[in-house]
Amino acid sequence: MFRFRLDGASGVPPYLQLVHQVRQSLLLGYLREGDRLPTVKDVAGDLAINPNTVVKAYRQLEHEGLAGGRPGQGTFITGTLSPATPDTHNILRASLEKWLREAHAAGLDDEAVTALIAVARNDMNKEKV
Amino acid sequence: MIWVSWRQSRSQAIACLGVLAALAIYAIVVSTSMRTAFSHDGLAACLARNGGTNCPDAIQAFTNKFGSAVNVAFWSVLLIFPGLLGVLIGAPLIARELEFGTWRLAWSQTVTRTRWLAVKLAIVTGGVIVFGAAITAVITWYRAPMDRLTGHFINNAYDYEGLVLTAYILCAFGFAVLAGLLIRRSIPAMVAAFVPWLAIRLVVEFVLRRHFEAPLTFVQHCASAQSCMGGYGLGFIPPVTRHIGDWVLGPGGGSGNQSGNSYLYQPADRFWAFQSIEAGIFVALTAIALGAAIWILHRRPAA
Amino acid sequence: MTQGDGGGSPPALRTAGLGRRYGHVWALRDCTLTVPAGAVAGLVGPNGAGKTTLLQMIIGLLQPTEGQLEVFGETSHANSTDALARVSYVAQDHPLYRDFTVADMFHLGRAMNPSWDQGVATTRIDALGIPLKRKIKGLSGGQQAQVSLAMALAKRAPLLALDEPVSSLDPIARLDFMREVMAAAADTGVTVLIASHVVSELERLCDWLIVLTGGRVQLAGPVDDLLTAHQLLTVPRATRDAELPGFLIHRADSDRHSTVLVRTDPARPAAQERPGWGVEPVGFEQLVLAYLQRPPGTAADDPAQAATRPGPATKEVTR
Repeated sequence: MFRFRLDGASGVPPYLQLVHQVRQSLLLGYLREGDRLPTVKDVAGDLAINPNTVVKAYRQLEHEGLAGGRPGQGTFITGTLSPATPDTHNILRASLEKWLREAHAAGLDDEAVTALIAVARNDMNKEKV
Repeated sequence: MIWVSWRQSRSQAIACLGVLAALAIYAIVVSTSMRTAFSHDGLAACLARNGGTNCPDAIQAFTNKFGSAVNVAFWSVLLIFPGLLGVLIGAPLIARELEFGTWRLAWSQTVTRTRWLAVKLAIVTGGVIVFGAAITAVITWYRAPMDRLTGHFINNAYDYEGLVLTAYILCAFGFAVLAGLLIRRSIPAMVAAFVPWLAIRLVVEFVLRRHFEAPLTFVQHCASAQSCMGGYGLGFIPPVTRHIGDWVLGPGGGSGNQSGNSYLYQPADRFWAFQSIEAGIFVALTAIALGAAIWILHRRPAA
Repeated sequence: MTQGDGGGSPPALRTAGLGRRYGHVWALRDCTLTVPAGAVAGLVGPNGAGKTTLLQMIIGLLQPTEGQLEVFGETSHANSTDALARVSYVAQDHPLYRDFTVADMFHLGRAMNPSWDQGVATTRIDALGIPLKRKIKGLSGGQQAQVSLAMALAKRAPLLALDEPVSSLDPIARLDFMREVMAAAADTGVTVLIASHVVSELERLCDWLIVLTGGRVQLAGPVDDLLTAHQLLTVPRATRDAELPGFLIHRADSDRHSTVLVRTDPARPAAQERPGWGVEPVGFEQLVLAYLQRPPGTAADDPAQAATRPGPATKEVTR
């Protein structure tokens, strides 16, 4: 049974935290297509959160095509996040680690690295549009 | 709701049973020896012959041996006992719920607080009546030999035999329930109920009781000064009327006729009439107090 | 589990101008709010704000001095069986009869509530490992709270009112209690009304919010809408209140800047991005604390307040 957790101090709305955890688990391979997500009652009773929060998170996942409900049976993972194969992952990860070492050598700390990535991603998204 | 009322009074009921049992054991022990003495010392035969007028020594001996019942100190305790019982049972009925906050539980179920109180009162009042009747029965049985000498009008017989004992307890109970509702704390409610109860009790016994019915007049004819024996007062055996059980109130009622001393008295056969009147007073007070409690609880929006 | 969009079903709670006076003091005044069926509503306010007064009127323990009160569309009168049947209540400090066993308490519940479901009560207690034969005084505080909750849930009323249910419990007991409440809400769709002064815990529990101070409603509505209707602005210290967009809720001044919480007012133009102004969305706790700090007795019926009231056909309330 997949279990969620909640970080009260993160400032991120609870339902987004749940969505994020599903996405992350999909990325890491802890959740696979066909897995059943816990019922709304189970999550609400486990985390002591409003059941509507869970409903909202599951709806968001449906909207993103990651999960779907089967009447009477529950909510199941229906999609995957990363089309890339494990090999592609390893290659990308190797070049990422090389880049990170270069950044640190240049004097960027973790926060600056994260900011740099965010800016670059933003610009690239703008170009796409 | 009946179960709830019973369960909440369960420990009180058990305590009352304990009191009753202890009383019964004491009564059996003492009364057995009383009865033995009564027949053994020839009192029974003596009374049968002369209405008790010719055996003062035997009577004296008997009352000395078993007469602690007329001891003032003992009698004072007996006086307050029904009042204490009544307030101990009645005060916590509502006050306890208010004191401990359990009214928020009791009155938020699907039973209105008026119905809650009405059922509780019905159950507990019924229990008090049964308990009062049981104590009355035990004491009546216990005192039977002594009563044949003193009659039933003597205080510690009258107060415990017949109807009034139950009525006294009920009245103290009623006052205490009402006090508990108004004061909201058990112990102060007990005090606030006991004091007026005691006052009324004393007034009824010492001021009103002798006047429940118009007393009769008895004129004592004396052949000579010495043969005019007897005095008045409840401890005097036999009374001047020479009829055991009569309650001689005192001199009076004479029309100036000097052929003898005249006394006012209540005849023994008025015992049950007097019991009914006095019990009626206390039961009416109980009904008023309990009715007021139900009405106030119904009207008041919250504790 | 849906909330708020049951178009045909009456709201769990509707009050209009509800008020309660003790002597000369108004414990609650001008209380007008709506809570839809199925919501989990938080009732927040400092001690003495009127939370318990409001809850007790909803339950039927207390008669209002003025105003109307409807629970699931039916007018509620104090001390009537109908009103009492509609709401389950766990009072502050979860009162129970200390000499009763757990089984006795359930027997009481069964005797006093026609809608009682014994299975609900015993299933919960068994799942928590609480023995039925133990006396209440032999249970821990957390276990007693669970027994009170089991009784309230076994009553099967459509509205569950909890008055500061966890304030006397340790953190684990608190969590366990709220877990049970949320599971029940998910299971049966019961509407829950939680009164609390611990704001931080309510964020994950509530989708509806009511803020009370000084006997008056300061804020009421669905949490999501309320959060999007407010903004947290960082502005230069010299900015005057009138220059701020929207309705000012709270202002904290530093040497050179001020942090202001505003409620966006549809009647005024939206805040334009100005140089030197920072704009952030407001968090739940920040929002509640800002409203709690408003002076008690501040009127809540300004026009902006009406904008946060939900849904279609909210009738204009006459007092």
